[in-house]
Amino acid sequence: MILGPFLMVGLTIGISYVSANSTSKSREIAVISDSRPMRQAYLQQNSNNVNRKIQTTKAAKAAMADNQLAGYLTFKTSGQPVQGDYHGNNAMGTGLKAQVQNFLTGYQQAQNYQQAKLTPKQQKLLARTPVLKTHIVSKNGTANLAKIISFWVLVTLIYIILITYSSITAQEIASEKGTKIMEIIFSSTTATSYFVGKILGILLVIATQIIIYLCGGWAGYAIATRNATVSPLITQNQSLIDTVIHNLLGLNLLYLFLGVIIYTILAAYSGALVARAEDASKAAQPVIMLGMFGFFATFPFQNNMDAFLVKILSYVPFFSSYFMPMRIINGHVGLGEQLSSLAVLIVAIALFSVYIGKQYQRLMLQTDSQSLWQHLFHSIRHR
Amino acid sequence: MLSIQHISKHFETVKALNDVSFDVPNGQILGLIGQNGAGKSTTFHSILNFIQYEGQIQWQGHSLSADDFNQIGYLPEERSLMTKLTIEQQIIYLARLKGRSAKEIRPQIDDWLTRFAVKGTRKSKIKDLSKGNQQKVQLICTLIHEPSLLILDEPFSGLDPVNADLLKQAILAAKDRGAAIIFSSHDMENVSALCDQLVMLRKGDVVLHGTLDEVRNQFGKSELYVTTDWSQSQLADLPHVQTVESRHGRHYLLHLDDPAAGPAIFDALTQGHYIEEFSQQPPSLDAIFRMKVGETNV
Repeated sequence: MILGPFLMVGLTIGISYVSANSTSKSREIAVISDSRPMRQAYLQQNSNNVNRKIQTTKAAKAAMADNQLAGYLTFKTSGQPVQGDYHGNNAMGTGLKAQVQNFLTGYQQAQNYQQAKLTPKQQKLLARTPVLKTHIVSKNGTANLAKIISFWVLVTLIYIILITYSSITAQEIASEKGTKIMEIIFSSTTATSYFVGKILGILLVIATQIIIYLCGGWAGYAIATRNATVSPLITQNQSLIDTVIHNLLGLNLLYLFLGVIIYTILAAYSGALVARAEDASKAAQPVIMLGMFGFFATFPFQNNMDAFLVKILSYVPFFSSYFMPMRIINGHVGLGEQLSSLAVLIVAIALFSVYIGKQYQRLMLQTDSQSLWQHLFHSIRHR
Repeated sequence: MLSIQHISKHFETVKALNDVSFDVPNGQILGLIGQNGAGKSTTFHSILNFIQYEGQIQWQGHSLSADDFNQIGYLPEERSLMTKLTIEQQIIYLARLKGRSAKEIRPQIDDWLTRFAVKGTRKSKIKDLSKGNQQKVQLICTLIHEPSLLILDEPFSGLDPVNADLLKQAILAAKDRGAAIIFSSHDMENVSALCDQLVMLRKGDVVLHGTLDEVRNQFGKSELYVTTDWSQSQLADLPHVQTVESRHGRHYLLHLDDPAAGPAIFDALTQGHYIEEFSQQPPSLDAIFRMKVGETNV
């Protein structure tokens, strides 16, 4: 389960690599021309995805038939103007088309200057082009993108961990329900100690998983920075990456962990409420639904993180784990508010644990056929 | 000493226990008998605080709390172990819950496995053991931390006579250590062999309580075991003989309506001559149990 994401990433990279290798040849084109200097000029300007070996139409056609070539260009300089023809199985890509058009324009222009016998000054004047400059406030642009990326990474991470461990926790607890080993355990330790111990055990597994992912992410990042292909991309987006990492760490990570704790406790409670171990999957449903509700409730607010409802939900346990990190990422919430919400969450976790710890023995030793809801009402009635 | 004073328990409208009181002094064994549903397991669950009840239960003069858990050895009615663990892991896990360290318990495991003739090694998985051997491992888990209060719910259930004897020896060894022991059983022979006192519950009420002799003597010496050449009909014609049961061959059991008639019957049977067997006794525990259960169904 822990290695799953690593295997998925590895598999994706592996498949992409193999696929890229196998398709790269069929993406190449050949350049054929009656003018050797013209062909050389094109190859000098455009070295990518060009098969330099093929120099005749016959060889190009044969390579296309073998699916080793996407097409070929022929340049004719015998007539005026210079003519370029593309022969391919599919239409020219816009990139290639622009590339060829640029080359032909430049080449034709050079020919025109030569034949018009212009002075260098005249040539220089004719070569003048207008200038268009774009001015983007790059910092704000990056920050907005970083917020969106951070938001999605964080809520998805919380959601995946919650869904996975809610189910595991509920099943683990439900499988012990009604077994006599619980009577032996409760004759040896208090139900509260056992419950807290059980939750701590599960949390340590989750913490281990998060640490493994952090280490895996760090290792992947380190490898990527050394990779010739990816490295320029990272350098280009360094400030974006730094902002995303900054948004994900710190208080937001604490919210993630506390969110997982409160949902795990709820899952354990649900597991203890079922009548039989076979109903464990049913037990996890309310927790999963609540987790999903929190997750999907964030969607309408991703571009409106200052909405009133977001502010309210950022203080409500079970939802604050999604909504307060949203506000923190947006940067429009003070430290006081962050700590208040955190305090509410911690107090809720403590009260919830004590309440369930007190109910736990009765719930775990009860082996009647009451439904989950009957147990829930019974348990509330007997507080 | 375990002291149970006036405990009552109701489940919704069903009375499970009604004003039950008894003591189990240290170094003594109390047998709890009764039909299924009589309230035996509810009594155990009350002692262990699994359920809330009315009345008072004290252990060594104070209410039983989490601080006393390490002194308790509890064997539930249905056996249950963590089947994925090895014998060693299971024993150590439960012993550690009882405050014993793995270092302390590990060297004792082989000795206990030998003592209970468990077929398997300490590294055997619980799930690979037969039902009988799993039961023995559970007994070891109950006893290995040398509890001073032993609560055994139907400990002999499912054990063959050889293994039942091994368990009896272990229970008697715990008694010699000074443990207070309370156990339930449907096997009156085991109860007679082990118990210093017994309590019989019927629908939550205590219907019998005392030492084995006290309980039996309440019913008078109304049973007469004889070995004679007399026929069953001749024996039935004797005064104060209610019924005659043929045990086997020349062996008979006579039920008397008046225990005082014993000497007269002896004289009539022997007429001054030798008699191979003439034993006047109170009813057996088994007979008393059936009698008391029979009263329920009247």
